[in-house]
Amino acid sequence: MASRLLRVCGALRALRRPPAAPLRPPGPARALAAGGIPSDEEQATGLERKVIQAMEKGQDPYNILQPKRYAGTKEDPNLVPSISNKRIVGCICEEDNSCVIWFWLHKGEPQRCPSCGAYYKLVPHHLPH
Amino acid sequence: MTHQTHAYHMVDPSPWPLTGATAALLMTSGLAMWFHYSSMLLMALGLLTMLLTMLQWWRDIVREGTFQGHHTLPVQKGLRYGMILFITSEVFFFIGFFWAFYHSSLTPTPELGGCWPPTGITPLNPFEVPLLNTAVLLASGVTITWAHHSLMESNRNQTTQALGLTILLGLYFTVLQAMEYYEAPFTIADGVYGSTFFVATGFHGLHVIIGSTFLIVCLMRQIKYHFTSTHHFGFEAAAWYWHFVDVVWLFLYVSIYWWGS
Repeated sequence: MASRLLRVCGALRALRRPPAAPLRPPGPARALAAGGIPSDEEQATGLERKVIQAMEKGQDPYNILQPKRYAGTKEDPNLVPSISNKRIVGCICEEDNSCVIWFWLHKGEPQRCPSCGAYYKLVPHHLPH
Repeated sequence: MTHQTHAYHMVDPSPWPLTGATAALLMTSGLAMWFHYSSMLLMALGLLTMLLTMLQWWRDIVREGTFQGHHTLPVQKGLRYGMILFITSEVFFFIGFFWAFYHSSLTPTPELGGCWPPTGITPLNPFEVPLLNTAVLLASGVTITWAHHSLMESNRNQTTQALGLTILLGLYFTVLQAMEYYEAPFTIADGVYGSTFFVATGFHGLHVIIGSTFLIVCLMRQIKYHFTSTHHFGFEAAAWYWHFVDVVWLFLYVSIYWWGS
């Protein structure tokens, strides 16, 4: 279990910088051949496999990790991934604010939160199929 | 293929919750029928339905997780929470029986002779079979940890051996305890001593059997290559449950067998 948490932390760090080396641990290519127990690399399937493969590429298409934090300025807007042309954003303007500011973010020019003015920009992307 | 944008598992419609509820109804009413009308038919039907429900529901979970890949990290996290909450509820279940034991044994009534063990009760010697049982369960805790580490280190042979050894120790405990039950000089009908002893140790024994069954299922899955070195939550859940069973025994041993003798 610890190794899975470490992998998530590793992925988190990898998302903040381009991955220099693959996250696969060094060792025999087929763990099944070496010790007899398969690895996720060999045996994971379905959505689990897609998540693992995306994480290794530094992507998080299924929004497992916390959204990345940006400065929220015009030059460095919060980038909001979306599979369509708009997505609902909930802005917590200051830490511990209980009133969440909800608004639709549309593709195109960055929009500002009506309360704190932070910039948000939609980044359309496709789900891995 | 999948068109969801989240990593959670929206389960397909399933009949097993309904058959499980039916089994619960049949077993409870069957118990009443057995007590009052000497008929075991309804209860037998209930047990059969429960067995079939468990087999098919958990078989489906294995299919969804291992063969279809629905158990992503967030799904696994939810399963972990679920198992921990379930074990916590079982802890409270046992707390009730320990409460009953201490309530009766700390202030023994005049009907018992004002003493504990009550007059006329010859308790089992805690340093004979019960001590062996303690050693057996503690050893099984070591072997299951060995199995887990072997699994994480991709060592198939040692995983299988250690898991098999854990199961054998669990079965050894059950056999020993069954023999103790047969040979005990007192019965469940022997006042509050008998009641607290056999209900507490009896439910514990049932949990040992449940835990051993869970471990046997894990052994079968391990042999069939279901577990990977990083993803084996079924095994971890079984290990948590087994450690819980061990801890309950330690409390039973110290409270009922040792202090209570």
